[in-house]
Amino acid sequence: MIQAQNDSPTPTNSPTETVKRPSRSAAEWVTFGIASLILAAIAGLVVYGWATKRDLPPVLTIHQTETVRETNGQFYVPFEISNAGGETAKSVQIIAELRVNGTVKESGDLEIDFLSENERQAGAFVFDQDPRQGELRLRVSSYKAP
Amino acid sequence: MGTSRERRNQWAGELNDLIRGASGGFLFGIPLLYTMEVWWVGSSANPPRLLLALLLTFAIVFMLNRTAGFRRTRDIYAIDAAMDTVEAMAVGAVCAGFVLVLLQEINLQTPLNEALGKLIYESIPFTLGVALANQFLSGSPQENQQESSANPGSDQGTLHATFSDIGGTLIGAMIIAFNISPTDEIPMLASAVTAPWLLLIMAASLHISYAIVFAAGFANQQKRQQQQGIFQRPLSETIMSYLVSLLAAMVMLVFLTS
Repeated sequence: MIQAQNDSPTPTNSPTETVKRPSRSAAEWVTFGIASLILAAIAGLVVYGWATKRDLPPVLTIHQTETVRETNGQFYVPFEISNAGGETAKSVQIIAELRVNGTVKESGDLEIDFLSENERQAGAFVFDQDPRQGELRLRVSSYKAP
Repeated sequence: MGTSRERRNQWAGELNDLIRGASGGFLFGIPLLYTMEVWWVGSSANPPRLLLALLLTFAIVFMLNRTAGFRRTRDIYAIDAAMDTVEAMAVGAVCAGFVLVLLQEINLQTPLNEALGKLIYESIPFTLGVALANQFLSGSPQENQQESSANPGSDQGTLHATFSDIGGTLIGAMIIAFNISPTDEIPMLASAVTAPWLLLIMAASLHISYAIVFAAGFANQQKRQQQQGIFQRPLSETIMSYLVSLLAAMVMLVFLTS
């Protein structure tokens, strides 16, 4: 390796200084070109994300994705939550309440760590009673600003 | 010396430099890759902070490249160090991105800003590792020669040398993995993984290990030829190191998890 680089005569741009490093080979220029492209792409995407970022607070929507699934006497209610706003929401609290005849029979809560712009997360609430017999409410109760 | 040979040497040398850089990046960057706090910081960082992180990485790695660097040659001009820094950052970003995809932290559903945040924050330790690769993975040629002449190594039995290889692998595995194995990220990542994805992770581990063995091979070629163990070809060495690592991981998981 070392020999390979020392073998080629080293043309120096400034003969007054001692040059330990030979001038860049074609291979080094090619990798430098590719590397610059990669970095430029990353920086460009950051700037693009910056330019298109909407200055909106989080807009959190939650909805039930599938029908209720019953297994072993338990009722699974799958849901999906998404953030249509511009900022990230932290510690998003989701509450599910099952009301039968106007009184809350069962409730569940769940915390989602992070929900950034356009991000979706899925989960499920589990009830002992059939949610189809009563009124099921899924709602987001709170979040923290990042 | 013919021109074609010179050119081939150039490319081989460049490839070798890049592989050494990437290996250093993996060695240094892996523990932070398995840290969910870094993912979170990346997820919630805003674009100006990401640009600042890129600039800071550049500044730090530039200073490192003035003294260390991943190339065999020393950078004495600032412009060389700057160009090497760009390359180190690109190698770091590619490696970090690859592992983030492998760990399913970045997938097709990840929003752009979040993916960029994770990538940029995780690529900082990788880039530092790339810049330190020479310190990790190579001794100076003189040093190697001294060691190999001081250690004729012919009176060691093959069996003994093989055991010392395995022991070295085991110690290395412990040093790198001890700060990963007791963390919550492992069960968390494992719970989300599917069987085909596991096979992909195994394939990637083997390739990365092979690259590191290959890079280390260039550093200590002479010393290695003195070694008498049965695992002296890069392929068998890689597979042996993978098996030893699996064993070490199993032992650590048994002892470190409740």
